[in-house]
Amino acid sequence: MAKKTYDLLFKLLLIGDSGVGKTCVLFRFSDDAFNTTFISTIGIDFKIKTVELQGKKIKLQIWDTAGQERFHTITTSYYRGAMGIMLVYDISNAKSFENISKWLRNIDEHANEDVERMLLGNKCDMEDKRVVPKAKGEQIAREHGIRFFETSAKANINIEKAFLTLAEDILRKTPVKEPNSENVDISSGGGVTGWKTKCCS
Amino acid sequence: MEKLRDGCPSEAFEKDAFELTVEDVYDISYVIGRDLLKISKGGQQVSELQFKIVRVLEMFEALVNKSNLSMEELKMERDNLKRELDRVIAEGSSNDVMGPNKMVVDLTDPNRPRFTMDELKEVLQERNQLKAQLLVAQEELQLYKSGSLPASDQTMVEVDLESPSTLDASPPVSIEETKDEPRDEKTTIKKLFTFRRK
Repeated sequence: MAKKTYDLLFKLLLIGDSGVGKTCVLFRFSDDAFNTTFISTIGIDFKIKTVELQGKKIKLQIWDTAGQERFHTITTSYYRGAMGIMLVYDISNAKSFENISKWLRNIDEHANEDVERMLLGNKCDMEDKRVVPKAKGEQIAREHGIRFFETSAKANINIEKAFLTLAEDILRKTPVKEPNSENVDISSGGGVTGWKTKCCS
Repeated sequence: MEKLRDGCPSEAFEKDAFELTVEDVYDISYVIGRDLLKISKGGQQVSELQFKIVRVLEMFEALVNKSNLSMEELKMERDNLKRELDRVIAEGSSNDVMGPNKMVVDLTDPNRPRFTMDELKEVLQERNQLKAQLLVAQEELQLYKSGSLPASDQTMVEVDLESPSTLDASPPVSIEETKDEPRDEKTTIKKLFTFRRK
């Protein structure tokens, strides 16, 4: 076996209405970049990023889902494996906020019971187009006992903080032990950071 | 005339020819008959003319009668067709051929939907697996480049796509835990990318 470059593997999932910025949130976190052209995600995609928390290298495998209803059957089959789910809405889109309860129901139906959840109100740079007050986001998050951030993939606000907080919350309830051999089998090599340096610097 | 309608019978002479009814013809007959009576003292010749006029009036009656009947039939036919049309339209919009959840697809549209959700699911799973394997390959390549792995292994990187690798490499990354796909389905590309030792 090649030596492993991470200690833990966390699987995260991004859900929410089409066009709220799930892919952009992920792209900002994984590649620290932003693209204004809207390309609807087809079904499901993923990115990987390794972070370091409490002295542990944690590989985040982040699944990005299509928000469109027509991909529903594909995307819901990915809920089960997720350890953390980010539910994203758009602060300039009232409908995306109203649909939060629908997405929460999807989590209840398809995800593990102990999945760590988080609510994100994205596009918070667009203050002039805001239709969902921050307080409403905070309120619904409080009602469901989940964390809440307003984010902007475009202006890079709270993106890293959100992912790291979610990873920390998962880490907190992860039993402290050496990663099992199954994890070792899953991947090996020099870590994504090496690849990133090569491609993006 | 057995029944006189409102107004003078001679008014029938003023009417438009195509609006005449059988009653109008009777009014006309009545007027002509009355006038003929005034001059009937004329004897044989007037009497013969009278028969001819009666005959013409009878023909006239028959023609007007037939015309009115035809008009009536055409109106009924028109109303029937109208009702039929309304019925067909109503059926067509609700449940004629198509159910409420059906969609019409233009078979000549090159961009029409034509793959099933399962097919898309498979393609996406394969894409994501290949992507994961690419990431692993890139990580390993980076390791070799940075010298983290023994130099003696480096030659294998170039050649070893089909023969079992002597590299101490792990199997390709598996993201199948998050998926439902059976593990035994391997594409050619997947086989090429399998470094697993026998």
